[in-house]
Amino acid sequence: MARVHPVLGAFAVLVFALLLAPLVIIIGASVSDTTFLTFPPQGLTLHWFERLFEIAAFRRTMITSFLLAVGGTGLSLLIGIPAAYALARWRGGLPAFLPNVFVLPVLIPEIVLGFSLMKSVATGLGLPIIAALLVGHAVLVLPYCVRVVGASLNQFDFSIEEAAVSLGCPRWRAFFSVVLPNVRAGVIAAFILAFITSINDVSVSIFLTGPGVSTLPIQILAHMEQFFDPVIASVSVLLMLVTVGVMAIVEFTLGLTFLTK
Amino acid sequence: MSGRAIAWTLALPATLLVVLALGLPVLATFLTTLTSEGGAVANYSGFFTSAFRRTVLWRTFEVAAITTLLSVLIGFATAWVVAKAPGQLKSLLIIAAVFPLLTGAVVRSFAWMVILGKNGILNGLLLKVGAIAEPLSMLYTEGAVIVAMVYLFVPLMVLTLVGVLEAIPQDLTEAAASLGATPAAAFRQVVLPLAVPGLIVGAVLVFTGAFTSYVTPQLLGGERQMMMGTFLYQQAMITFDWPRASTIAAIMTVVTLVTVWAMSRLARRLNPVAG
Amino acid sequence: MSVSLTLAGVSAHYGSTLVLENLDLHVAEGELVALLGASGCGKTTTLRLVAGFLQPSAGTIRLGERDLTRLPAHSRNIGLVFQTYALFPHLTVRDNVAFGLKQRGVAAAERARRAEAMIATVGLEGLADRHPANLSGGQRQRVALARALVIDPPLLMFDEPLSNLDAKLRIDMRVEIRRAQRDRGTTALYVTHDQEEAFSISDRVAIMSRGRIEQLGPPEELYSRPANAFVANFVGFSNLVPMRAVTEAGDAVRLEMQGGATLDLPRARFAVPAREVIFAARAEGLTVAREGRGIPATLGLRTYLGRAYQYRCTTAAGEIVANGPLSEPLEPGTRAVLVPEPDHCAILRAE
Repeated sequence: MARVHPVLGAFAVLVFALLLAPLVIIIGASVSDTTFLTFPPQGLTLHWFERLFEIAAFRRTMITSFLLAVGGTGLSLLIGIPAAYALARWRGGLPAFLPNVFVLPVLIPEIVLGFSLMKSVATGLGLPIIAALLVGHAVLVLPYCVRVVGASLNQFDFSIEEAAVSLGCPRWRAFFSVVLPNVRAGVIAAFILAFITSINDVSVSIFLTGPGVSTLPIQILAHMEQFFDPVIASVSVLLMLVTVGVMAIVEFTLGLTFLTK
Repeated sequence: MSGRAIAWTLALPATLLVVLALGLPVLATFLTTLTSEGGAVANYSGFFTSAFRRTVLWRTFEVAAITTLLSVLIGFATAWVVAKAPGQLKSLLIIAAVFPLLTGAVVRSFAWMVILGKNGILNGLLLKVGAIAEPLSMLYTEGAVIVAMVYLFVPLMVLTLVGVLEAIPQDLTEAAASLGATPAAAFRQVVLPLAVPGLIVGAVLVFTGAFTSYVTPQLLGGERQMMMGTFLYQQAMITFDWPRASTIAAIMTVVTLVTVWAMSRLARRLNPVAG
Repeated sequence: MSVSLTLAGVSAHYGSTLVLENLDLHVAEGELVALLGASGCGKTTTLRLVAGFLQPSAGTIRLGERDLTRLPAHSRNIGLVFQTYALFPHLTVRDNVAFGLKQRGVAAAERARRAEAMIATVGLEGLADRHPANLSGGQRQRVALARALVIDPPLLMFDEPLSNLDAKLRIDMRVEIRRAQRDRGTTALYVTHDQEEAFSISDRVAIMSRGRIEQLGPPEELYSRPANAFVANFVGFSNLVPMRAVTEAGDAVRLEMQGGATLDLPRARFAVPAREVIFAARAEGLTVAREGRGIPATLGLRTYLGRAYQYRCTTAAGEIVANGPLSEPLEPGTRAVLVPEPDHCAILRAE
C-alpha cells in the first residue's frame, strides 16, 4: 500500500470537513429555537419542521416535485430503455449520429433548455404548466436513461438472448426475462440519477412553473425572497433526507462504489 | 419486421422527444436572434457594445475559469488521497463526496448564504475572536459566488478523478519504481500524463456547469454580481425582452459547445495512449 | 556483475492471513530459479517482497552483500518483467526502454543510444517510435524484456511473463529469455504456474503451496523423485494409491494394496521410507496387460492418445488411469492387470 504524504492527507481531511460542514450547519440551524438562522443552534426545537408543513405552498410543491420526478423519470425510462436497447443491439442498422442525439440534453445548457421550452412549448403551444414541466423534466433526464442503461447493455452478451430465443422463448419475452434482469444495475442507476436531477432542478422548472403549479426548489427560492428563516433550513434537511434515502437505495442495490465507475 | 425497422421503432419515441422538446425549441431560440427586430447584427452587436453586458459576460468567464482552476487543484489532491485510501476508509470518503453531490444546488448555495451573510456564522466568528470590529459584507460579491461554486463542483471533480486515478493500473507505478523512479518521478512521468485526459473531461464539466449556472449566482451574487444565467432569467421573466434573452441563450450555448468541442479535441491530442 | 539472492526466514501477511511462512531460498550467482505453483501458493508474493512492493512481517532479503529488506522499491535495482508487461502507454518503445536510464541520470543522447541498441538486441529494429498500443503481444513482451535488461540489473525477475502469449510464441520467448539471462550471467527469479515452462527454463525449480516450498531442486529430480504426494500430483503422477510395504525380499520391494494384491518393484531403484506408503504412478507408469504381476483391474472407458490407449480402470483401491498398447485395443469390462513401469513410478511416505 503506497503511503500518502501527511500534508496531502491533512489537506484532504480539511476538504472533506469543508464539504460536510455547511450541511451540518443547516441541520443545526433547522432545530434552533430562534426566528433567525444561526449556528450553533440555540435551544432545540422541531417547531420549524411543523411550520414548514403548515405552509400550504410547501405541502403542495413537495407533492408536485415528487410526482414530477417519478413521472418524468418514468416517462424517460419508458422511451429511453427501448432506444438504448436498439442502439446496443442494432448498432449497424441505425445512423451513426443517433447516439449523439441523446447527448444533446447534456450539451445544451439547462437554463437555455428551460427558456426555449417556455418560449416555444409552454407559451407557444399553450401547453398546461404541469404537462410542460413533465416534458421538460423527461427530456432533461433522458441522457441518463439512454446512456447509463446503454453502458450496461454494451456489457451485455446478446448471444444469451439468442440462446433464450433458440430455446423457444419469444423475442419480447426474452427481452423482459433475460435482457432486462441483466442490465438491472444500469436501470437502477439511471433511475436514481434521473430522480435526483429532477427533484433538484431549478434551471428548467423556473421558466415553466406558474400560478398554482410550482416545484419544491422554486418554492424555496420564492420563500427565501420574503423570509430568511429556519423554515428554509428545515426544508433543506428534508431534501437531504431524500438524498440519504436515495444513497441507501444505491448502497443496498449496487454498492456506493458504483458511482465512481 | 426487419432488424432495422424494429430498431427504428424502438428508438423513435426517445428521438422524437429530443427533437421536439429540445432540438426545435432551441433552434427557435436561435432563429429569434436572427429574425427579430433589427436582425442578427443588431442583436449581437447590441450585446457586445453595451459595457454592462460585456461585464456580465466577462464576469461569467472569470468566475467559471477560477472555479474550474480551484476545483481541479483541490479535486485532484483530494482524489489522490481517496484513491490511495484503504478499502473501508475509501468507501466512507466516497460517501462523503457523493452526499453533497446529490444534494441540490439550492440547499448547498443556501448554506453559504447562512455562512457568509452579514449576520452570518463567519462574521459572528470573526467578531467574537476580535479579528474585525464591523461585520464584513461578503454576500453578493464575486468571491462569494466563487466559494459556493467551488463547493458545488469539488465533489464532482473528486469522484471523476478517483475514477481516472483508479483506472491507471498499479502495475505501471510499480514498473516505474522497479526501474528506479522515486514516487515523485513516477507521479510526474507516469501518473500525471495518464490522468490528463480525465482531468480535461472533469474541467469541462466544471467550466460549462459554472458558466451556465443559475442558482448560485442568483443566491450569492444577486443583482449586483449578475452572471449570464441570472441575466438570461432577468431578461426573459422580468423585463420580458425575449430577443435579448435569446441572444444571451445563444451565446451561452455557443460558448458551451465550443468549449466542449475544443477541449475534447485537446484531450484527444493529449491522449497518451493513441499512437 | 553477478550476485546471489538470499531470503532467510521470510514471512508475509495480508491483513491477518499468513501468505508466506518462514521461507528460506537461496538463488546462486547466475542461477535461474523458478517458483512454480497454483495461484495463491505464495510465489507472486515472494517476488513482490523481493521487488519491494510488499513488506515482510519477518525475515531478511539480501542481494549479494546488500540488505534489501527495508530498502524502497525504487532503490533496489532489480529488472522486473510483469505479467501484463506494464509498458507505459504514453511513451514510445524507445522511451519505455530508456525509462530506467533516465531515472539513473543518464544523458539523453547516451540513453537513446543504449535504448536503440537494446531494442535491436531483442529484435525490434524499426519499432522504436511506436506506442505500445500498436505492438503485438510478442513485441510488447520484448519491449518489457528490453526495458528490464537495459538497466543491467544484478537480479532479473519475471512474473508469469509468458501467460498472455499464444503457445508457439511462448516457447520461442522462453528460449530468448533463457538465452538473455545466460549470456549476461544474471541471477534470476522466475514465477510461473506452467510446469513445462518452469522445467524447461530453470536451473532449479521450487514447487510452492500454501506459502511454503514443498520441494526445491533441479527439474529432473522433481520429475522423477517427488518428495511428497503434493509434488507427485503436481508433476503428473495422477495415480496415488495407499499401500503397505510388506517385505523386502531379495532384490525386490513388495507392496501390498487394499484387497491383498501385491506389486514387486526393483530394490535398486526404490527406497521404502516407511511401512505405510503411497504408491505413485503416472498413467504411463502402469501398463494394461491381459496377464502378469500387477494390480487386478476391470477396464472402463477407453480414449485414444495417439501414442497409446488410455483406460479408466476400476480396482480394489478405486479408479486408476493406465495406458495400454496400440496393438491391442481392449473393450470396457475386460478384466486385466496393471503392470508397473519403474521409470514412471515412485514410493512416497504416507502423510
